[in-house]
Amino acid sequence: MYKGFRSESFTAWAFMAPGLLFLAVFTFWPIIYGVPLSLTDYSVIAETNYVGLDNFTRAFQDHNFLISLWNSLVYVLIVPVIQIISILMAILVNSRIPGVKMFRAAYYIPVVTSMVAVALIWSWLLGNNGVVNYLLLKAGMISEQVSWLSTSSTALYVLMFITMWKGLGYYMMLYLAGLQGIPADLYEAARVDGAGPLRLIVHVTLPLLRPHILFCTLISVMGAIRVFDEVYILTKGGPGTSTLTSSVYIFQKGLEQFNFGYASALGLIVSVMVGALSVLVFRLNRKGGVNSY
Amino acid sequence: MPRSLRVLITYLLLILLALFMMGPFLWLLSVSLMPGRNVFANPPAILPTFIAFDNYVQVWNFMNFPRYILNTVIITLLGVVFNIILSCLTAYPLAAFRFKGRSLVFTLLISTMIIPSATAMIVHYLTIQAFQLGNTFFGVVLPAAVSVFNIFLMRQTFLGIPADIRDSGKMDGASELRIFIQLVMPLVKPGIAVIGLLEVMAFWNNFLWPIVVLDDPQKYPLAAALTYLNGQFSYNFGWIAAGTMISVLPIILVFLFTQKYYMEGIAGAIKG
Repeated sequence: MYKGFRSESFTAWAFMAPGLLFLAVFTFWPIIYGVPLSLTDYSVIAETNYVGLDNFTRAFQDHNFLISLWNSLVYVLIVPVIQIISILMAILVNSRIPGVKMFRAAYYIPVVTSMVAVALIWSWLLGNNGVVNYLLLKAGMISEQVSWLSTSSTALYVLMFITMWKGLGYYMMLYLAGLQGIPADLYEAARVDGAGPLRLIVHVTLPLLRPHILFCTLISVMGAIRVFDEVYILTKGGPGTSTLTSSVYIFQKGLEQFNFGYASALGLIVSVMVGALSVLVFRLNRKGGVNSY
Repeated sequence: MPRSLRVLITYLLLILLALFMMGPFLWLLSVSLMPGRNVFANPPAILPTFIAFDNYVQVWNFMNFPRYILNTVIITLLGVVFNIILSCLTAYPLAAFRFKGRSLVFTLLISTMIIPSATAMIVHYLTIQAFQLGNTFFGVVLPAAVSVFNIFLMRQTFLGIPADIRDSGKMDGASELRIFIQLVMPLVKPGIAVIGLLEVMAFWNNFLWPIVVLDDPQKYPLAAALTYLNGQFSYNFGWIAAGTMISVLPIILVFLFTQKYYMEGIAGAIKG
């Protein structure tokens, strides 16, 4: 018995070895190596020195970094909006009517397209003489053209909108899966008790979607703080620092200016923040619970 | 409310949403089919007055599309093969074996999802340089050769396989590896299809990491080449639109033909 257990254990590790090796190098190592790196001024060009906690003290006096943290936090505001819209979308595409699968696919297409293409399309649509301005002017919702992406007061919100637009389909699918797991007789029972559509949603759908809401909130919070591609392609953090999010700033410091040490310190600070936010989301949803995910 | 009215409202909302989600793509298609038109003309060109494929022909002749497509296909294939093999091998024991350290592995894997590493890209860059893999396709693929998400997805799939199968294989004296390859793997084809599709999309659309790793633009995959095209011809909208359509269409087609598996797989990724 004991021997059998040991050999099973050996086989298990043998199976996992290649995968764990890759994870060790490309998933665990960056987390571990980020710590010593953040205590140096490693920059490829000059000699590397141990600088203690200098990078961290510098970070908290770095005006641009603080702005980038703030912008990242503002970005998190899209999380509840995404949840509400995608739950409504999921309810809509859960209707049993002909052709509904076609709509599901249509809503999912932004998810599978590359961010480069999505960013390009929206940058044109949002241009000064672009379609969005044209339509809004026609509808009388704005009185003059707005340079959506090059105005400090709108740029960040426009980026948030694009992130939301691209992600809605993904969350819709996750919620749809949740909806399809709800037994139909629960709705029947509530209907017999005289509940209308709105009460059905509030008292049956939402409570039963709780684990899905927790999961989706969690991944969209992380996604919002790590947001990079759309910001980098469309505004590179500008105009000024109005869309400078933490990932973009870390990328600039690290892979554009080659301040690896400083960038690692910034990365660590952001990681701790994301960890704390995740814990917070868990606390807020204590009754939910994610099953091994 | 009568049922027919409810259905009507539902369709109305579905169509409005479809316009919102698909409108930008349809407009891109429209721009790509209008030769010599400016997307910023006033009023902006929304529908083509006549349809022509000039933009496609010209941009295809100008950019080395076959080359970029070949690069993308190589990167995507490598990425998919690595991910399928590595995540199946890693997930199988987590689902089927009982061994010491199983929960440790599990906790480690989960913790990587909770604590994202914003520094990962910087360390990956250093690692790839240290392995002398800069400017190679392997350098592009290896950091994403296996993902925790795929391991969980495959574990979920392996959990659905009865333990009897492994026992019966053992009874017949087959080795664990043989049981895995000949008995277990054929049963998880749907799961493999899902992670395969997920990775096809991820690698096909990846643009930033390839630009960081590859010094030679001739090695760029499509999405990266597209940023290059955009930088060079910001005035030639038709070309860029056509180029974008060329890069986007394959992945949309793959998705449309496989959406059944794909959507079930995404949905299966979380369990309530």
